[in-house]
Amino acid sequence: MLTEKLMNVETGYFGEFGGRYVPEMLVPIMDALRDAFVRYYQDEEFLAELAHLNETYIGRPTPLYFCQNLTTRLGGARIYLKNEGLCHTGAHKINHCLGQALIAKRMGKKRVIAETGAGQHGLATAAVCAKLGMECVVYMGAKDYERQRPNVFWMERLGATVMEVKEGGQILRDAINAALRDQLTNPTDTHYLLGTVCGPHPYPVMNTYFQSVVGREVKAQIMKQAGKYPDYLVACVGGGSNAMGLFYEFLDDESVKMVGVEAGGEGIEEDSRKCRHAARMQSGYPGVSEGFKSLFLQNDDGQIKDTSSVSAGLDYSGVGPQMVYLRDIGRVRFTYAFDDEVLAAYDLVARSEGVFPALESAHACVEVIKMAPQLSRDEIIVFNCSGRGDKDLFIVAPRLAKDNFAAFLRKKVDELGR
Amino acid sequence: MKNQQIKIMSHLVAGYPSLAESEKIALAMAGAGVSYIEIQIPFSDPVADGPTIAAANRHALDRGTSVNDCFELMTRLKERVSIPLLFMSYYNILFRHGVDAFCARAAAAGCWGLIVPDIPFDEEPGNGYLAACAKWGLNPILVISPITPPDRLRAIGEMAKGFVYCVSGFGITGQERNVSDETRDYLARVRQHISQPLALGFGISSQDQIVAAAEVADIVVIGSKIINLYNQGSETEGLKNISDFLQIS
Ligand SMILES: Cc1ncc(COP(=O)(O)O)c(C=O)c1O
Repeated sequence: MLTEKLMNVETGYFGEFGGRYVPEMLVPIMDALRDAFVRYYQDEEFLAELAHLNETYIGRPTPLYFCQNLTTRLGGARIYLKNEGLCHTGAHKINHCLGQALIAKRMGKKRVIAETGAGQHGLATAAVCAKLGMECVVYMGAKDYERQRPNVFWMERLGATVMEVKEGGQILRDAINAALRDQLTNPTDTHYLLGTVCGPHPYPVMNTYFQSVVGREVKAQIMKQAGKYPDYLVACVGGGSNAMGLFYEFLDDESVKMVGVEAGGEGIEEDSRKCRHAARMQSGYPGVSEGFKSLFLQNDDGQIKDTSSVSAGLDYSGVGPQMVYLRDIGRVRFTYAFDDEVLAAYDLVARSEGVFPALESAHACVEVIKMAPQLSRDEIIVFNCSGRGDKDLFIVAPRLAKDNFAAFLRKKVDELGR
Repeated sequence: MKNQQIKIMSHLVAGYPSLAESEKIALAMAGAGVSYIEIQIPFSDPVADGPTIAAANRHALDRGTSVNDCFELMTRLKERVSIPLLFMSYYNILFRHGVDAFCARAAAAGCWGLIVPDIPFDEEPGNGYLAACAKWGLNPILVISPITPPDRLRAIGEMAKGFVYCVSGFGITGQERNVSDETRDYLARVRQHISQPLALGFGISSQDQIVAAAEVADIVVIGSKIINLYNQGSETEGLKNISDFLQIS
């Protein structure tokens, strides 16, 4: 059974991918975290607290929404949107943040660190730390710090310290490296709350477990609304946490096909140091970095390449080991969406349904828009709207409403100057 | 304590600030009487290194330093010095080249041992890295920390060749540490399980610390301090700084 294979708590390998390739200093730390996870995910008291907070704090279950207008407009498959954007703090990230923080608290950790790209994982981490009374430090690449500034502000309001990482390409990967360094310096009192299904074992299985609530809800909701399982599930893939969340519960249902969408950026082109995209499944090679074995965008010498995407959350050179395994066995098909397609899809979904997807999630929308017209009326697509688009104001506005936005900013700057 | 009695392993990043300078730095180290030289093959994501060495990695890559350049540097140095030369890098560099092929080339270039901090000895079933080191006669230098539990120390003691590298305190390279009672206790604890020589590293930045460290360890590792010494002053001054620092009387 695939669901068992992908929850391999023993070794954390999925086929040849995964593992825990960390300095010896971190081995006992990762082993202790795995043991704690194994203990608590079978502990009734823990699960009851998680379920209670899922409902009252995060706002679960999130709605499964039938996109009537989009469906009519595209004239094919029926399109449903799983609205993770309605989770507290605006994205699916809080599902694994809450779970991990509850474990960290039980392990007696006082301090939590996290990396963030889009800022959604950092924001969710900051929120649960505020709630649970733990110190919180979030690492963020300087480029992401700039382009996701609203989230920096909110994290700081929640009491977190946001560290701007000025090394390397100054994006998600550099933030992960900085967080790993922090964990190496503070191995015992600090929990590294890693934000996707990447990194050393047990993170991929642990985050998959906490995210799987998404697909479980979809199963019940789609049966109620449509009386059958979906034919297709579509999700964007940065590290893979929202995709694993939607897919996991359906992995053993063979009639349900799955599609992962990576960042095509400005095109599937690259030189020996930098990619114009972040499509690991297109041109990545097996490698070991940031604590796990998977596909990485890298050159012939094994140097990891910088990536590029309009969405900070997908702008990463590695991808979750379970994702690669699922591709290799043919269970999940992978494709990519270009930046300009993403902005067009973002606009289309907003105007036809009154929902702003996060730019990450809009990658999934691009594929849905391509697929739906090819399919028949009785086929169902469910896509994960992993987050809401408010955070992307400073990326979207300059591209879609430049003059108005510039005039507004000038006015505000003038007011502040006075 | 006499200079000859203190064994030092000093570190450099190949290609920092250039391959030609790396060669001169290594020769200066050998001339100053160090016992081992650790040549780091630069990597894009050096997670176990502190800011100084990480920046040197980046610089070396920006200058286009390749793995092949590092093998050639090793070959050239091997012709001119007789002390053991080691490669330090991250596992992806070996993995991408093919672990066996990498080890074969390293051995052919005259490399004595490898330090690869992100491949735990029990990670891969029948650990291909350790097997390849054995096949090509390279010493795999295993790294331990103060929180490594006794069962892992014992296992490492059984597998280790050459010497065992003890991280001197929590943390990444480049932070200052005194040789404290804790370090003394730590090495004493390690010696209960490991009979190989112990190298003590991470954060040693003064000659006093070297002398103190040599009281408890067999080999003292000097890392980011070398880069800081080199960066103080012109190229010639940098080389002289390194050489003066390493000559302990
Ligand atoms: C809204 C949203 N969706 C998707 C992602 C991508 O991550 P993952 O692939 O782990 O879901 C992010 C990451 O920041 C995000 O904020």
